[in-house]
Amino acid sequence: MEHPTILCPSASVGEETALELLSVFSHTPQKSIVLKCNVMLAITNVIICTSCLNTHTKTAEDWLDLCGLSQQPIRATACDCLREMETCSPGLLSQKLEALYLLKQQETTVLHQSYCLLYTLGLKNAIRILTNQKDVTDLEFKSILGGNEGFAWKSNQLELTSLPINMLVQVPRLTQGLDCKELKSIMSLLLEESYLLMPISQSALLRELVEVVAMVPGLSRTLFKSQLLRLFGTADVSLMHATLFMKDTFTDSLFTTVDENFLLKRLVGMAQHPLLRITEKLFYMECILHFPENRPISSSGEESLPVLVTPRRAAFLHPTVFNDSATMLCRLNLLCLVHLEANEGEADKGIGFLFDHIMALLKIVDNDGSREVVVTSLRALFIFLMHFSGMEELSEKLIDKLCDMYSRHSRLAPNLIDPVWSVKLLRGLQKRIMEMPPLQLTIHNLSWHLKVLKRVAKEGQITQRNTIYLLLNVLINSNLCERGNWQVGNAVLAVYRNLLDHPSIDQVFIELADLLQYISIQYDDTDIKDHARIYYTLLTNLSWEKLTGVLAKRLDGGRAKERSHSAIMAESEEIAKSVEATGEVRNWLEVYQGQFQTPGFGSEVTLRYNLTHAKETDPLFDKVFTICLHFELKDSNYAKVTDIHVPCVFRDRKSPEVKVKLKPFQPYPTSLCVSAMFTMQDGRSWHSRLPDVSVSFPEIFLPLPLPPNSSRECREQVFERIWEATASGNSDKSAISLFCFKPEDKSLADLIKTHFQGYLITDQQSERSWKVLLFLPPKCHILLKITQAEDAAQVSIATDNRELLPFPVSCRVSSALLKEKSTKALNN
Amino acid sequence: MSIRALWVVSHEKGESGKVRFSRRFPTVEFRAKSLAGTQYVAVPEDRVIPQLLLTELGLVDPDKPYVEVRDDCARQHRSLAVELRLDGPGGRTLWPVLTVTQGVLILACLPLVEAPPEPRPPLPSLASVSQGLALLLGLQDFLCGPGGKPEPDVLASRLAALPAVLLQVCPLGRPLDTPPPAGSVPAAVAPSPGGAQKQPAWKAGVHRGRAVVSVALTEKVRSMQYGKSSQQDIWDVYGMVMCKCEVEGVLPNVIVTLTLPHNGSPLQDILVHPCVTSLDASLLTACSVDENDGSAFSGPYKFPFSPPLELFRLCSYTSQVPVPPILGSYKLKAEENHLKVNVVLKLHESVKNSFEYCNAHIPFFNQNLMGNVEVKVSSGQLEVSKEKNLLVWVLGQKFPKSREATLEGTVHFSGTVAGPTDPLCSGLTAYVKLYFRVPDLTLSGCCVDQHSVQVYSSAKPRIVTTRELVSSEYYIWNSTGDAPVSSGLMVL
Repeated sequence: MEHPTILCPSASVGEETALELLSVFSHTPQKSIVLKCNVMLAITNVIICTSCLNTHTKTAEDWLDLCGLSQQPIRATACDCLREMETCSPGLLSQKLEALYLLKQQETTVLHQSYCLLYTLGLKNAIRILTNQKDVTDLEFKSILGGNEGFAWKSNQLELTSLPINMLVQVPRLTQGLDCKELKSIMSLLLEESYLLMPISQSALLRELVEVVAMVPGLSRTLFKSQLLRLFGTADVSLMHATLFMKDTFTDSLFTTVDENFLLKRLVGMAQHPLLRITEKLFYMECILHFPENRPISSSGEESLPVLVTPRRAAFLHPTVFNDSATMLCRLNLLCLVHLEANEGEADKGIGFLFDHIMALLKIVDNDGSREVVVTSLRALFIFLMHFSGMEELSEKLIDKLCDMYSRHSRLAPNLIDPVWSVKLLRGLQKRIMEMPPLQLTIHNLSWHLKVLKRVAKEGQITQRNTIYLLLNVLINSNLCERGNWQVGNAVLAVYRNLLDHPSIDQVFIELADLLQYISIQYDDTDIKDHARIYYTLLTNLSWEKLTGVLAKRLDGGRAKERSHSAIMAESEEIAKSVEATGEVRNWLEVYQGQFQTPGFGSEVTLRYNLTHAKETDPLFDKVFTICLHFELKDSNYAKVTDIHVPCVFRDRKSPEVKVKLKPFQPYPTSLCVSAMFTMQDGRSWHSRLPDVSVSFPEIFLPLPLPPNSSRECREQVFERIWEATASGNSDKSAISLFCFKPEDKSLADLIKTHFQGYLITDQQSERSWKVLLFLPPKCHILLKITQAEDAAQVSIATDNRELLPFPVSCRVSSALLKEKSTKALNN
Repeated sequence: MSIRALWVVSHEKGESGKVRFSRRFPTVEFRAKSLAGTQYVAVPEDRVIPQLLLTELGLVDPDKPYVEVRDDCARQHRSLAVELRLDGPGGRTLWPVLTVTQGVLILACLPLVEAPPEPRPPLPSLASVSQGLALLLGLQDFLCGPGGKPEPDVLASRLAALPAVLLQVCPLGRPLDTPPPAGSVPAAVAPSPGGAQKQPAWKAGVHRGRAVVSVALTEKVRSMQYGKSSQQDIWDVYGMVMCKCEVEGVLPNVIVTLTLPHNGSPLQDILVHPCVTSLDASLLTACSVDENDGSAFSGPYKFPFSPPLELFRLCSYTSQVPVPPILGSYKLKAEENHLKVNVVLKLHESVKNSFEYCNAHIPFFNQNLMGNVEVKVSSGQLEVSKEKNLLVWVLGQKFPKSREATLEGTVHFSGTVAGPTDPLCSGLTAYVKLYFRVPDLTLSGCCVDQHSVQVYSSAKPRIVTTRELVSSEYYIWNSTGDAPVSSGLMVL
């Protein structure tokens, strides 16, 4: 029913299926009405969606027969099915109008609605087809109303789906001077009976009738006059909408200036009517902004205010703090337009009022309004500034207010660095941060300030000297460097990354260099030190043009989408991307993450050892039995290891394999104390201590735990998603790092093959780039993007557990790479 | 005039959304594909819908202060339609998705865009929008019922009935009708007698049995009183007439007439039920949007209609009455660790002094919980709420003879536990909220005379008419503090 093309991919299968279903239908007992109706819907869906409507004539005939004689619900369904067929194949019923008219006339039960709608649609489409024809004669015109031939399967077809007339540049019209008497009486009757239809269906009927009248010059628009008052007063949204459609189509040929004025007043009234629901009111506000005026000044399809909506009329639509957010924003937007159009005196007053409203909102934000209030208020402010940005004085006041608020609530930082705000605000924020007493710069709000400064540093028009002084001051006069918080360090470096790109860098060159050097020496975190050093090197060795070139390349990603080279890459706002996702991508990541719901999934590393005799031991121990190996942990990073039992070990036989299953809580290197209990041939038991088993970092690497048949695409997507999530800096624990080295004797490809064969996600040798994912139980990842640049290899490392970074730093991910590491500067 | 898909999504606090019901309409999708051509965007699978919807509605990650996709300013969220960003920012979008939220339920549908997709057509130019909206609003009534908060098992059973309902009202994506409101008991009807008279589609059969017509008029009064010369007090009244007509015949005629007292102010913004057969132009002329010039039509208001079987809202109106029924003053002063409170309520002489109930709530926000309360009232009783953050002044059924009641005293906030917060009510910004109901009264003076109800039917029906006045959003703000302005009326 809902996805017919999945089971019926082609027209022929569709046709077969429809026939099968038809036989099901005819064999279904009379009393199973609901089933019968559903089968009819299914057949209709299959026929239309597999495009075999044109070849499969029988169904429509069957449905039409059912319309004539059967139980009520089945007749209703048959009508709906035919109506859908006619919609998807306009003109299908164009030669059956007489029969449909008779059916409609005979029906006096509630079903006449269905017949009425079916007939009207058929009539409209038949006339639309005639408009394509030149010089229609009276006879031809008459014959459509009296048509009772076959189904018009192929002839006279309109396009598969024709647009309603309000979407057409030119309304198709029939030839002038046709005899419309009969059609007119049919139309009058339809209109008269429209009252008997459900409001939604009534509105559909009215729209069809409007289209007919618009296409037939011989029909007068005044046909609708009798209905207008009833429609003007209606509380039903679809009927009111149909009335507006009528207004749009006929403008002043049906609606006088008085009518227009009246209708608009009604709309404004309804847009704030206490008894209508919020969504209805929002809809009416949209209708006001797209009101079909008789004399429109512009018709661009953009929002525009009808001339008749004056400040006085719109007074009740003023936004208030009590409105829900959509209503408030919608009203604000409308009122901004009203006051933009108003004459001066009135406008000033009105704008003043809107300004007060904005200030009231900001006051609520200032009083610790909820997140929704913050977002809504700032959106309101944005709408206001969009319309009145020319009014310097106002915008300055507002910016001042925002800066004040920021001084008190630094958590607003992400909202205030939204790209919609002007440079002025950023300049103001920078100033506020500078003016803050040092005591107010706690670690917590410092991270917000750094976020703001990072954004400020992107603005070429804002001088950055103050930012640098502040940072220098903070770093030197606090214990930040000793604390060596990686995240703060990274946030500081993120500001620098943007500063390096700043056009006025020359003016602050020395200070900047000082600072970088200070960090590279004093900051108690190796990664941060390294990066500060890289920046320092870049700053002191490259011209600004080159420097921006290098940085720009990093930002834009280039081939390898090098999005997150730690601080080189500004910590990008990719949070969004990790939250949002296409269905496909989310799917794989979800599949992947879903696996972890299974208890114990991916939580173990199995290490294999051979249990052998030490080289020189007493022959007495050549044969030992029932050995029990017992393991003691030296730290708390692993779960207790269960004892292992081995039946026997003989010196002259193959040594048995022992599988030690480790369950890490934290995947760090460790070592285990091992002891053994065993029995001798003579029955005596011994206890002995074995050499410690040391578990190195690479030994706990596992390949990405996905089902074995997962496609490469799936692996890649999971890799990318984890990378993005890590790069987003969203989590406290994630980290990104970069290092470069020169492979000496072996080629990079070989190195990777030797050390990462089992962990490769992609291997694009032709493009000289590789992606490697190391999974560490219970749920940590180290991701590598390795690219071969001209004379060095670049390795970007991302991890969702930055505690792991010291390990790759010390063992450089694999001992092999460590050996190769010789240079550690960017290859310029 | 069709919808492509329909969803019912629930989102409990702290949980991700769940699709409780969904329906695709393949033939409409078929049309959507041909209309949009290369710009066609398929409807995604159900499992991605909740997240996309919740993001647009600002309901994801409630514990994160800022999430760009949810909170950025460039997206203005001032329309009834949202777009779902299928591939994140900058990617394909599904538009226009109409949504209606009630409690934990989000109802959404995707109307067919019968227009070239680019540039994006205005919503009002699309016929499917109001049809989809009407369907959603009907669905809301069907699922949530009059209380708005159905019990989980009730909701589940209503959801289970939805396929059968859609088979009736929207079998192929084209809404024919709206779902029946929940709890509406199908009237005992006899099948249509047949004959030449066509049966209205909105009336399943005819009534048999005793003829009764009941007409209930409810007026609600809202007010914002500031007690300041700089801020004008405002109040307004809106009313609705609910009818239930058990009258024989396929299309019986009934006329209900509303009358106003001499020089009563005219009823404005009259909206009528689709079953009203004709309207006089003069009824519709008065509109709150325009200034009253005194010459406006002031009744009698005749509504000829042919009633459906169920209870329905015949018409609604707004009215501007000269005085609020209760005029209040609220004075709050902060002294050391306590607040001095003074509230005076005056019942206007034109209002009948006979309430079903009348309570004044005096909440305290952004304070510690109340300790000692030394407050005296001249009439009624005072209660301190269990939560220790609210005074409830129960005025009872009558104001004293003087029609004036006062509350005076001090409230200490000695507790150490912080009470509820409200960003609006900081400092001395505070209000008293009134709740009252007066039976057999309307402020506008509007009434339905029992004898004016005309029924053209074979049997003479019993006619019942009632009226009442109920408060709604009736605030009296502390005059010594800043009160949030609530209306653009001040501009005038």
